[in-house]
Amino acid sequence: MIGAAIDTAWYAYAVVGPVDAEIRAALPAPLELVGSAELAVVAGEVPLAEFGEDVLRERLNDREWLEEKARAHDEVIRRLLPLTTVVPLRFGSIHRDRIAVEAFLETRHDALAAALERVRGRVEVGVKIWLDRDQRPARGRQEAAATGRAYLEQRKRERERAAMAATSLEEHLRDVHGRLLASAEDGVVNRPQSSELTGRDAEMVLNAAYLVPGDGGEFFAEVDRLRSERPELVFEATGPWAAYNFVDLGEGV
Amino acid sequence: MSSRDLSTRPGPPGSPNGGHPAQLADVLERVLDKGIVIAGDIQINLLDIELLTIRLRLLVASADKAREMGIDWWDGDPFLSRRGREDHALEGRLRKLEAAAGLDGAEEER
Repeated sequence: MIGAAIDTAWYAYAVVGPVDAEIRAALPAPLELVGSAELAVVAGEVPLAEFGEDVLRERLNDREWLEEKARAHDEVIRRLLPLTTVVPLRFGSIHRDRIAVEAFLETRHDALAAALERVRGRVEVGVKIWLDRDQRPARGRQEAAATGRAYLEQRKRERERAAMAATSLEEHLRDVHGRLLASAEDGVVNRPQSSELTGRDAEMVLNAAYLVPGDGGEFFAEVDRLRSERPELVFEATGPWAAYNFVDLGEGV
Repeated sequence: MSSRDLSTRPGPPGSPNGGHPAQLADVLERVLDKGIVIAGDIQINLLDIELLTIRLRLLVASADKAREMGIDWWDGDPFLSRRGREDHALEGRLRKLEAAAGLDGAEEER
């Protein structure tokens, strides 16, 4: 431990608490708990050859590397989630050594303890709503317009229909978000993911996350109710996740 | 995959998501974009969340395609280093590139 080689650093995954032997046993080999039984950081040694500041900049552009490491990060957090309260840290939280992790915990103790309390006994559920491409407005082009005037009128009607459909979609989404919020303690609406990112034809029109009590069972049931009430919308619920969207401490520095 | 049943249901403890792997976009969005930013010794600078988001979306979407189009600004741009950050200029550049690459769904629909 003492005089650790200079070519490694400590990667911090999450803040957890309380911790016990079961949690210690659940951690994959190189990971350790740093801190107390009430509040600890899950961290482990990583090679600077991979996570050093300069290398990392390049590695973040390596899709395969990024996918592997991002999934590994999330996997550590997933494993802990059923066992204790977890405040996820952001990808790439690197400290020089174990002592630096201890110092971090000490300096930020109160804020981290507060973040832990905020998410205790709760999980995050993601809800996305998709719209099939062919469900979107502006149909009716099949009736060919006989005259220029008829064509212009047809275009006008199409625009009006599209505007109405957009308004009604927005109302639907606001309504759905309201219903889901009522079953949750908090919720955030994130930017929808682009089709390039999702690789799907359908368009994502809502990308939200909710902080819900327990294991999220009640909330999933509410999503199911909404799904059957609104067959025109395609719902996707994911999780339970650690409360990634609900642990913001500002810039945290 | 059925278009009506995209639900990923919770599984028993220890096997979240009922054994279905989460979609990469969902993982990246959470792991890179959210979570607490902490002050570490050698921490990379991930404070500019919006920039990172755009950067990663471009990356995950189609880095190869973008490269073919000559969009290779991420190679050696100063964004992730602590040196020489010119956020406003860079952000403007990113917006333009993003629009050029047709990657911003919201803008595209207008």
